[in-house]
Amino acid sequence: MRRFTIICSSAIAAAGAWVVYTFAPAGNAWFPQCVFHQLTGLDCPGCGSTRALHALLHGDVAAAWRFNPILFVFAAVALCAVPSLARGEEPRFYKTPWFGWTSVVVVTGYWIVRNTPLWPY
Amino acid sequence: MNCPNCGTTNLDNATLCINCGRPLTTASAAPPQPPVQSYTPPPPPPPGGSPGMAPPMPGMMPGPVIPNYLVHSIIATLCCCLPLGIVAIIFSAQVNQKLAIGDVAGAQEASNKAKLFCWISFGIGIVGIALAFLINGAAFLAALHNHM
Repeated sequence: MRRFTIICSSAIAAAGAWVVYTFAPAGNAWFPQCVFHQLTGLDCPGCGSTRALHALLHGDVAAAWRFNPILFVFAAVALCAVPSLARGEEPRFYKTPWFGWTSVVVVTGYWIVRNTPLWPY
Repeated sequence: MNCPNCGTTNLDNATLCINCGRPLTTASAAPPQPPVQSYTPPPPPPPGGSPGMAPPMPGMMPGPVIPNYLVHSIIATLCCCLPLGIVAIIFSAQVNQKLAIGDVAGAQEASNKAKLFCWISFGIGIVGIALAFLINGAAFLAALHNHM
């Protein structure tokens, strides 16, 4: 059962990667767009992640960073958690107050700032 | 006020250290949760990493582990584009905060709310994306039809 889950999720991930690699999300009407963006015209914290993945799969890290830098932030956090997870433990920082509140501030702050003229990209 | 045990700076009216949970006032103000009083600082972790769970913490967190759903909340926020995801992250942070001060019941309550808002955010996100997909697809087909 566990192996079945792993095979299925790997297959879905591979198929997803192939779709994101082959088709450019920008200018392709079939790609599901962010609902928040369609309704308000503003960017949400996740907006640009499909374009970022497309750029990343084509090796363009700089473009991926411009599309959605917060993906890189959470990827870095996830990397920090790998040693603990490999031992089957929860990373020690995961249940600390500072990590919880930092996540709140980072995501909310990112959401606000990327919709202001302060945003560099 | 600095904790006599670990030196962490706490609020002046705090009864328990926010870092190690040690009572800050001497006997005069007994905190409402008796289990926390018997808490002693955990020994440094064994080098090899202990099998199973946690160093012995007498009286601390006796019940089941309370999930904080932080990863779920962040994924719900990033993938479903909803302000409700932020609400879920705030409740997740509250789980951590309340666990740190020994408020197990409050942490459980915040955990339940974080889970609830994750699911609401996820559900609305899926429905919204499906709707947007249909509408965009219909517009795309209409445009294609007009071209031909």
